[in-house]
Amino acid sequence: MGKEESFTRIIRENEGVIFKISTIYTQSEQDQKDLYQEIVYQLWKSFDSFRNESKISTWMYRVALNTAISQLNKSKKHSSNTGLDRVILKQTDNYDAEFENRLKIVYEHIHQLNILEKGLILLLLDGKKYGEISEITGLSITNVGTRISRIKQKLKSRILKK
Amino acid sequence: MEIEELQSVWSEMSDQLEKQKKLTNELIMEMTQNRYTTKFDKLTFYETLGAVICFVMAIYLLVNITKLDTWYLLSCGIFTIAFLIILPVITLGLLGKIKRINIAKNSFKETIVSFTKTRNQLLLMQRVGIYLSFILVFTCLPVFSKIMKNKDLFLQTSTLIIYLPVMGIFMFFFSRWGYRCYRNITNSAENILKELET
Repeated sequence: MGKEESFTRIIRENEGVIFKISTIYTQSEQDQKDLYQEIVYQLWKSFDSFRNESKISTWMYRVALNTAISQLNKSKKHSSNTGLDRVILKQTDNYDAEFENRLKIVYEHIHQLNILEKGLILLLLDGKKYGEISEITGLSITNVGTRISRIKQKLKSRILKK
Repeated sequence: MEIEELQSVWSEMSDQLEKQKKLTNELIMEMTQNRYTTKFDKLTFYETLGAVICFVMAIYLLVNITKLDTWYLLSCGIFTIAFLIILPVITLGLLGKIKRINIAKNSFKETIVSFTKTRNQLLLMQRVGIYLSFILVFTCLPVFSKIMKNKDLFLQTSTLIIYLPVMGIFMFFFSRWGYRCYRNITNSAENILKELET
């Protein structure tokens, strides 16, 4: 299988991951689209250096999260949150209104976390084990556990306040 | 909404995303080969353009520096030239440092630390720039006035009486706004750095 073919297959299999990362790290539709493209571009650029030393998903999450961080100062300083509605709705053709509302609440909670916490909660919600989260983030497994339980507490108190 | 519900909504969304394959091979390759002109690129363009304008002005002043025939005009000229060269060079250097972060090799933690440190330096430079521009306001007008119209503004007190208070008020509000932005951004950045480095 050629390089382009393998790359497009991997991206198509994981387009949901890129969508989720680009959504939680941006506040407007345009920023989200820009970040999405930038992540695909950075994945392509680093595709040659990916030598199956780690799982594809580990490499993909690492590059995508790193790209999101490195683009943070370039997004609009005062973008409107209304873009978020459109971002979510756009990708969710089959959702009902009630689900959309719940999803919006989930994104609102995640958007209130800091840049590190956003990455950790995304990995946890995507079903990653602490070992893989540690490999992606560079934090020790114990540290991942401690931070995740703090994030859960933080989210819980915010959810209860609502 | 409970945490468990949050998790279930997330996995339901992930399942839906799995089913919705929107990308085509052509679109993916287009994203990798023909980089779209994104806002990110535009920002770098404006920053570079700003630096080029500063350099052109600095060169113009350097070429005409002999026209500044008094010690005070010459001092103003040297300060203006230094401001127009040093600040853009440092800012572009720091922006380049952010661009050079190794996205493929770094861990998420390393990227956050490098990015946050460099961004703090960038914000510090912007803050220094705001305060130095107070002095620039005072120095650039007499310099340009002398070079372009051969008028020594320091000898025309009536112009200075109007010019200085107006610019002073403008700069006061501008720097106060700049400082607030700086303080808010760096406070949150400092917290993350502290968390990661302990």
